Amino acid sequence: MHEESDSALIARAKKDPEAFGLLYERHVGKIYNYIYYRTGNHHDAEDLTAHVFYKALKHIPRYVDRGAPLSAWLYRIAHNVVANWHRDRSRRQIISLDELVMGTLKREGPAHLAEEHEEQDLLLQEIRQLPPERQQLLILKFVEQMSNTEIAETMGRTEGAIKSLYHRTLLTLRKELASQ
Amino acid sequence: MNAKRVVEVLAAHAEGLTGRPEAIQQIKVTNEEHSRLAPLFQLAERLQQSMQPVQPSAAFVRRLGKELVDNAKRRAALTRRLRRALVIGAAALGSIVSIASVVAAIALVVTRLRARAQAQAIQAPTG
Repeated sequence: MHEESDSALIARAKKDPEAFGLLYERHVGKIYNYIYYRTGNHHDAEDLTAHVFYKALKHIPRYVDRGAPLSAWLYRIAHNVVANWHRDRSRRQIISLDELVMGTLKREGPAHLAEEHEEQDLLLQEIRQLPPERQQLLILKFVEQMSNTEIAETMGRTEGAIKSLYHRTLLTLRKELASQ
Repeated sequence: MNAKRVVEVLAAHAEGLTGRPEAIQQIKVTNEEHSRLAPLFQLAERLQQSMQPVQPSAAFVRRLGKELVDNAKRRAALTRRLRRALVIGAAALGSIVSIASVVAAIALVVTRLRARAQAQAIQAPTG
């Protein structure tokens, strides 16, 4: 049986709650991954993913389908939700439970594993220091495994701009990692 | 090696890393280019290894999905009730306005008839 398109589901979701449920199931994984890599912990990723979909539910009756993928709209909402979270967090300075648990595990594990974890953590921390659109590019490229064309469509940029942004992002990351 | 070429080679390499090997095969990279870009290739490979997809817990996905659908159903029911109340309100208002118009029209006709009767009574010759 052929799968109903996002556009058809969006049109139905304006009136039919079950259609919104289907859109949610289709996109929750992507949004969760995006938020997880932006925040670095599962607890906040769950909390913020819920925020994103409640906002989407509230605004879907006014959603205008202009041909862009629905995920582009959901990523925009997620971007705003994460930006607010960072703003609030910078006021409160919290260490997440995941960070504490990971720290303990690293100390307890074999030395080479701990070192690998440390390197990976360092890289992920550096990624989280990048401007949001560069973080999004890396998440779409490596986590979602999207092609440059798909990334361009999702981020509302040209493919050339995405390629240049990727190049600049690698250069920045290399510089930051070298200075550590 | 110009900047545009670097951008294209890195983009093709990333496409290759994410399951599109044809992209890197189309671009012929020389040994010199490869050794010059090796640090960036390695960084991209580290990114690929470190940024693996994560799965939200199944319980979380199920619970949030149910909450959203329930919430959407409540919203839809509320919208239907509001719409019905609006229709009934508008119909009631329309009825009141119609009745008032009919009463006003009757009052107007009666007033005019009375005025005409009075005028005729004044003009009629007295016997």
